[in-house]
Amino acid sequence: MMKKPRVCVLRTDGTNCDRETARAFDLAGGAPQMVHVNQLRTGEEKLAAYQIMVIPGGFSYGDDVHSGKVLAVELTSFLKEQLQEFVTAGKPLLGICNGFQVLVRTGLLPGGRTDEISAALMANDSGRFECRWIELLVENNHCLFTRGLAGRVLSFQAAHGEGKFFAREDTLAAIEQAGQVVFRYAGAGGGPAGNYPDNPNGSLHAIAGICNPGGTVLGLMPHPERFVERTQHPNWRRGETGEPHGLAIFRNAVHYAREI
Amino acid sequence: MGITTVRVTNRPGLRDPAGEDVLYEIRHALGIAPVEHVRTARVYRFEGISEKDARLLAEKLLAEDVFEVYTINKPVITDAASVVEVAYRPGVMNPEAASLSKSARDLGVTGLAAAASSREYAFYGGGVTAADIETILDRLLVNPTVETVMRAEPDTLLISGRPGETKIIPIRQMDDAALMDLSRDKLFLNLEEMRLIRDYFISRRRDATDCEIETLAQTWSEHCGHKTFKAELVVNGRKKEPLLKRLQQATARAGHPLVLSAFVDNSGVMEFYHGWAVCGKVETHNSPSAIEPYGGAMTGSGGVFRDIMGTGQGAKVIASTDMFCFAPPDIKPEAIPPGCLHPHYLLRRVVAGVRDYGNRMGIPTNNGSVHFHRDFRAKPTVIVGAYGLLPVSRAQKGRAQPGDLVVVIGGRTGRDGIHGATFSSGEMTHRTTEVNASAVQIGHPIEEKRTLDALLAAAEEGLIRAVTDCGAGGFASAVGEMGAETGVEVRLEQAPLKYQGLSPWEIWLSESQERMVLAVAPENLDRVLAICRGLNVEATVLGAFAAHRRLLVTWHGTVVCDLEMEFLHHGLPRRRMEACWQPPEEAAAPLTTLPANWTEAYGRVMAHLNVCSKEPIVRMYDHGVQGTNGLPPFSGLHGDGPNDAVLLTPLPGRPEAVVISHGLNPVLNRSDPYYGGLWAAAEAVSNAVAAGANPEEMVLIDNFIWPFPDPESLGALDRAVDACVDFVDTTGMPFISGKDSLSSTYRGADGTVIKIPPVLCVSAFGRVPDINRTVSADFKGAGNKITLVGKRTVSEMGGSVYCDLYGQPGGSPPRIDLSVLTGVLTAVHRAIAAGKVLACHDISEGGLAAALAEMCFGGGLGAAISIPAAENPVHFLFNETAGCFLVETAPDTDPAALFAGVPHQMLGTTVAGDRISAAGLFSVSLTALKRAWQEPMARIFGSMRAGNEGRGE
Repeated sequence: MMKKPRVCVLRTDGTNCDRETARAFDLAGGAPQMVHVNQLRTGEEKLAAYQIMVIPGGFSYGDDVHSGKVLAVELTSFLKEQLQEFVTAGKPLLGICNGFQVLVRTGLLPGGRTDEISAALMANDSGRFECRWIELLVENNHCLFTRGLAGRVLSFQAAHGEGKFFAREDTLAAIEQAGQVVFRYAGAGGGPAGNYPDNPNGSLHAIAGICNPGGTVLGLMPHPERFVERTQHPNWRRGETGEPHGLAIFRNAVHYAREI
Repeated sequence: MGITTVRVTNRPGLRDPAGEDVLYEIRHALGIAPVEHVRTARVYRFEGISEKDARLLAEKLLAEDVFEVYTINKPVITDAASVVEVAYRPGVMNPEAASLSKSARDLGVTGLAAAASSREYAFYGGGVTAADIETILDRLLVNPTVETVMRAEPDTLLISGRPGETKIIPIRQMDDAALMDLSRDKLFLNLEEMRLIRDYFISRRRDATDCEIETLAQTWSEHCGHKTFKAELVVNGRKKEPLLKRLQQATARAGHPLVLSAFVDNSGVMEFYHGWAVCGKVETHNSPSAIEPYGGAMTGSGGVFRDIMGTGQGAKVIASTDMFCFAPPDIKPEAIPPGCLHPHYLLRRVVAGVRDYGNRMGIPTNNGSVHFHRDFRAKPTVIVGAYGLLPVSRAQKGRAQPGDLVVVIGGRTGRDGIHGATFSSGEMTHRTTEVNASAVQIGHPIEEKRTLDALLAAAEEGLIRAVTDCGAGGFASAVGEMGAETGVEVRLEQAPLKYQGLSPWEIWLSESQERMVLAVAPENLDRVLAICRGLNVEATVLGAFAAHRRLLVTWHGTVVCDLEMEFLHHGLPRRRMEACWQPPEEAAAPLTTLPANWTEAYGRVMAHLNVCSKEPIVRMYDHGVQGTNGLPPFSGLHGDGPNDAVLLTPLPGRPEAVVISHGLNPVLNRSDPYYGGLWAAAEAVSNAVAAGANPEEMVLIDNFIWPFPDPESLGALDRAVDACVDFVDTTGMPFISGKDSLSSTYRGADGTVIKIPPVLCVSAFGRVPDINRTVSADFKGAGNKITLVGKRTVSEMGGSVYCDLYGQPGGSPPRIDLSVLTGVLTAVHRAIAAGKVLACHDISEGGLAAALAEMCFGGGLGAAISIPAAENPVHFLFNETAGCFLVETAPDTDPAALFAGVPHQMLGTTVAGDRISAAGLFSVSLTALKRAWQEPMARIFGSMRAGNEGRGE
């Protein structure tokens, strides 16, 4: 039997999507383990012992100041080297919702380095938290998490109040140029959605998820871990099934981690 | 070092949704035209650090250069007509302050003595007057209970004070008048109860401490003691058993095999599958929400979540529900009684409070409703429920053993929720004058989340003997109750405090949120403390349980409370209360006139506040967190068709589901408390059955929110309890938890008395063996059959939305026939479980017509129905009898066979297209109906603003 890659599911005060995220990796063939940030700080746990890392959704430290900011400051203050090593080693690192916000606020996305913050997730244009299923167009790029998914339109639940992807024009151009856009909100017909409600938060370039230049670090606002079982889709009774759309993302990470 | 202030705002030209939201309210709720634009800034103050360190914090933490700018010690918005800063009052703990301190430490900043955050609003527009700004502050931005306008820089952020002494109350010498003076101010006990307390201390040959008097008043309060529900009743001169006893006896008679714990723990528990149990609790939080809706709703949610956490030896919270009653949001401000808040503000702020607590704790809010009636203008009804999962092996209420330690975990203790507490003049500093004596607390969901994580970790290791939450009455109530059978000794000085200056009795009675009390065997203490430390949860030993059956509380070695548990918990005599009841007068027969314009009539019903879509509210709640949702609040082709109940699959990878639903109808409760009560119960269970639940595997929770129990109101309450008991006896579904709140009476200074409509909210929860054998409410295809199942007497139009809209007498309210209800519920359940039903929706407000339209919205399909010639079409379409269902079946299914033996009738078929038609009567556009149905809440919550700049180039 193939060895299951160890998945570090990072937790801290206010993390609340950890169990379902661990479950998604479990279904995908990984061996998830809950790791509190305190355990990394004390040295009781080391990132090097894991092949995959995920920062799940939630409201880390209440999203005080900015969403994900207080955890991002903690990570860059105490775990910068471990994180940088993890990314340099090419190990898959995933941030979902609050985890995406954390990755952007550490600088790991989009640049892949913890020393410069070049993008932001701002308050939704609607001014409110909203929980709704949306459609995502998968871009054709080198991101390890979306292998084999290019061009597909996936249904996921978005549930956030600060998800508007924002960067300056030159940064946006660079991200586009480097093929770092992984997911865009899709409108009717599958094209990128500029407007509410298909674009739920006013994200520039309809960006819902991006990766680092190496394609090993992925962050996205919607929740793939909330669609790994058929009955999680709101319209599973209407026959809109097929394989749950989130599974492939976790499976890709597990397969990739087995190879490295 | 003094205070350094950092102000942060978005770069010019970027949108500011918080400012846009305020502008929308200014325009739509206040109608102030001159304000053209609103921007916001966040303000952070740090005491005790250098400007250099403040700059470091600004750059590394507070302001992101990508989209923000900041200033230090000077304004950041300089071009507005007016800028005002709104802050929490001193003493109201802002959870963000702790995060600021943490990040400062993480960034290596030392010497920080205190931190605070607040918000600035900048108003633009040439004609904006000072009066406009005052109105905006007063009506929109500042709730004086917790907030204040900062008009000058503060000198310090620190709260200081010295603890007051324990006072001796010379109760032994008090005559009746003196006793009542003492009670009236703050104890709310009657003369008989006050005399008992006096006699107790005479027998003890000493006077009482303030702590003892407060403890007794707390334990004997209506809120904790449920004196009315336990009272001996005399109704119209005839003796009746106490209300609570009747409910409990009905539950005992039902003898339901799945009930594990009823009416004894912090929530009721029923068996689930595979060694698991589910528990449920529903609470009201009306009074706090009426004063400070955001904080009130938050602490309401936090409190009911802790009830679940404190069930058995600790349960995981898996769901949250919310049921609200308000006055119509468009009611004229002058109609609102003095001292009461406008429903437009209340509704938005209550929703925000429920949203922020549930979402941040990661608890899906999946089921709820909002009801409107003019008579809620003096006080809203705010009901919040929660449900949990726990192993059967830890589902029974725990018992503390002598020698077990009293361990408090979670938040610190402050002056929160303490009544009438004041600083004496000698203890004041220049700051404390501003400290609100009984600060309403702003809930801290992250504190509660990590406390929940720690509690569950300790529970899984079997380290908890007993647990309860600190709610009303604080330590006094929690510790006093846990030690009722054993006795307990508490050293109050051990309690971690938010700030200094609390008197012993204040620490003892404080209602600070997010605290749980555990009974832990001494050998398990180290492990419990280690778990808590690992999760950033404060845990402290307050004392130990004893064997002397006394409540012994000390403060630095001095006894501040020494009461016998027997007197505290059993010294209160049962009340005897008079009730009178007059059956409602026979209502005039309902009018039978048909509407001149069916399209208009149908649209008006769909747009009625009690029928219209509540989707904008539901979307603000995270209903997908935990990944358990198998039937969401809305589904269907466009995700906007409402469902009746929620189904959750809490065991990963397993098909077994928990069903949760509820019912209430304040209009019917008032016009006929008996049939209104039956309606609420029938509606609750019908919602669950419509989704596929088995009525034999469901249990109920009652919430009575009633006016002050004068004889007339008590008579009505007695009838509502009769309805509940009859419901249990007929259907076999028992109540296993409940709560009463008997303060829905408003008394104005001018003598005005408003009785808020009584509310009986019945919540139902149960278990379903297979999520795959359940249905949603959206129609699935064209050409399918639509059948009405259930018994209605359609001329019973009393209390209906249609009659409310047209000012017509409605006749009798729907009199649900219990003799057929169980059969109908069973038949619908069996049809769904057999896989024969494609969609099902129960009938409630708006009647068959509203249910049909909602099923069409969800399916993107029309319907063609026919109304029997003998029936009045208005009655047929708009009668609101609960316990009736619309069922969609495939063309080759025979509804007559499926529903043989219970009342049913074929209505018609689903059709492709955009119309609902009734043969020979009308054909209305679904698009128009849907627009009418969606418009009212979209207007209140602001149309979702589009992000036009989203595409970019």
